[in-house]
Amino acid sequence: MSGDEPPHERLPPGASEEPSGVALVGAEAIGLFQTGKELYSIFVRTLYYTFRGRKEPGAVAEQMYEIGNRSLFFITVVMGFFGTILVYQAGLQNKRILPEMTMLGATYLELLIRDLAASIGALMLATRVGAGIAAEIGSMVVTEQIDALRMSAADPIDYLIKPRFVASIVMTTALIIWSAAVAFTAGMVTAYAFFDVAPRTFANVALVDIGDLSVGLAKCLAYGAAIPVVSGHSGLAAHGGSEGVGWATTRAVVNTSLAVIILNLIISTAGLFIFGA
Amino acid sequence: MSAPAKNVPPPSRRYAGEPSGLHAVGASFFSIAETAGGMGIMFGRILSRIFTLRVDGAELMRNLYKMGVKSMPIVIVTALFTGAIMVIQAAPLVQRFGAYGLLGWGAGFGTLREVAPLLTALMINGRVGANNTAELGTMVVTEQIDALRVLAIDPISFLIAPRFLAMIITLFLATIFADALALLGAAYSGLGLLGVEPGVFYNGLTSGLLGVNDVMSGLVKSVVFGIVMALASCQYGLSVKGGAPGVGRAVNSTVVASAAGIFILDYFVSFSL
Repeated sequence: MSGDEPPHERLPPGASEEPSGVALVGAEAIGLFQTGKELYSIFVRTLYYTFRGRKEPGAVAEQMYEIGNRSLFFITVVMGFFGTILVYQAGLQNKRILPEMTMLGATYLELLIRDLAASIGALMLATRVGAGIAAEIGSMVVTEQIDALRMSAADPIDYLIKPRFVASIVMTTALIIWSAAVAFTAGMVTAYAFFDVAPRTFANVALVDIGDLSVGLAKCLAYGAAIPVVSGHSGLAAHGGSEGVGWATTRAVVNTSLAVIILNLIISTAGLFIFGA
Repeated sequence: MSAPAKNVPPPSRRYAGEPSGLHAVGASFFSIAETAGGMGIMFGRILSRIFTLRVDGAELMRNLYKMGVKSMPIVIVTALFTGAIMVIQAAPLVQRFGAYGLLGWGAGFGTLREVAPLLTALMINGRVGANNTAELGTMVVTEQIDALRVLAIDPISFLIAPRFLAMIITLFLATIFADALALLGAAYSGLGLLGVEPGVFYNGLTSGLLGVNDVMSGLVKSVVFGIVMALASCQYGLSVKGGAPGVGRAVNSTVVASAAGIFILDYFVSFSL
């Protein structure tokens, strides 16, 4: 300890070390801006390496297995339950207002394709895949494997984020299409069991138009791209020992889920203005 | 250097002798049963500490601050955005039938019964559940839990029961908060996107189609979700093995298990209410 004393001893009594009020808001804003800048940088570099980097189909296939096949069971269970609850609740409300249920399936399918399959599926993937990526990369950071990569003149973005990025875009789209199918089937069974809606009446694609499909697919791609970039950023920002890995994983789950919700709002609003209601 | 710098980490979870087919199903069944059983036993122990009032008060307050107050920003952002999304999704239906008066009911019903409790639980699961596992896991890895036992301090009443209570209280209060904010977000995005006045939205909300039952149903769910999250995160946190990577894996399994548990219990609560 040379001359300068720890900062809290210079503060007036009663003041804490943590910044408060305006300082806190400012610090948050600066932090947010910096995170945005880093995310943008990772995203751009990932895109660059996707087109210009080394071709490594093996690594991409391994990540596709890790992200896709291993999430299949989880996604199927969650979306099955979700579809059941949703149709049950919608049916109950429908009964309160008008007694006929013929449009229940058509409305549900439209909502599922335009928003719910993609958003709920992606929230689940953000939890599973995002936490997995951050935990894996975070462990590599704290065990100095990332520094070893850098020392070997290998950009961790190229070696670690890029395969996950490519794999996640493909597999998120595939899993979301699958989860829409699961949720729809679960809804169809529920409607038949509780409200006597014939499956033939329920499976009605009359309301699904090109706008719904485009918005749904745009969401798949956007979420698929956002999950590995955001969680990879959290993983790379890990520091310290096991505490750092836990902290990075927590941040990854929160930030990825927030990214999904924010992208959902942006794409839904854009869809509403482009395709109309 | 015989071992070159790998471009991908060694696939730790797919080790050479991994059992396949039935073996894998049986093994995962056993591990799920082990976790579920551990959670049940822990639940019993926590309840016995709570009913005999052996809960550390200072730790409870610290966790309430850390879990509740510090989660407010993400709860606020999630709730406002969710309300806006509900209105965007209801917009085509409302415009097709010209039923602007029903927008409040439609958004309110979905928000209060399902979306606000569910999304709040998922976000808090990500922040608080994951953080809790990481914290407990770090304590296990650095042998702090053993140190507590050596000092004859009961880890359940000192560490686990306060976290359990704090998580349930946090989720319950955050859900009430999120209900209100999501409806606020819905009302103003209805004004911005569909031109529905907040007054009309409020009338739709209070015209008698929604009752206190809809709110209570959401709040019961939030308590159930809180119990699941607390048990899962403490159980996975306490059973961490193997240093920093072990903590990462435990956090990963916690969020996955809690998310699946939240959806499955949502189903049962929805049907039993």
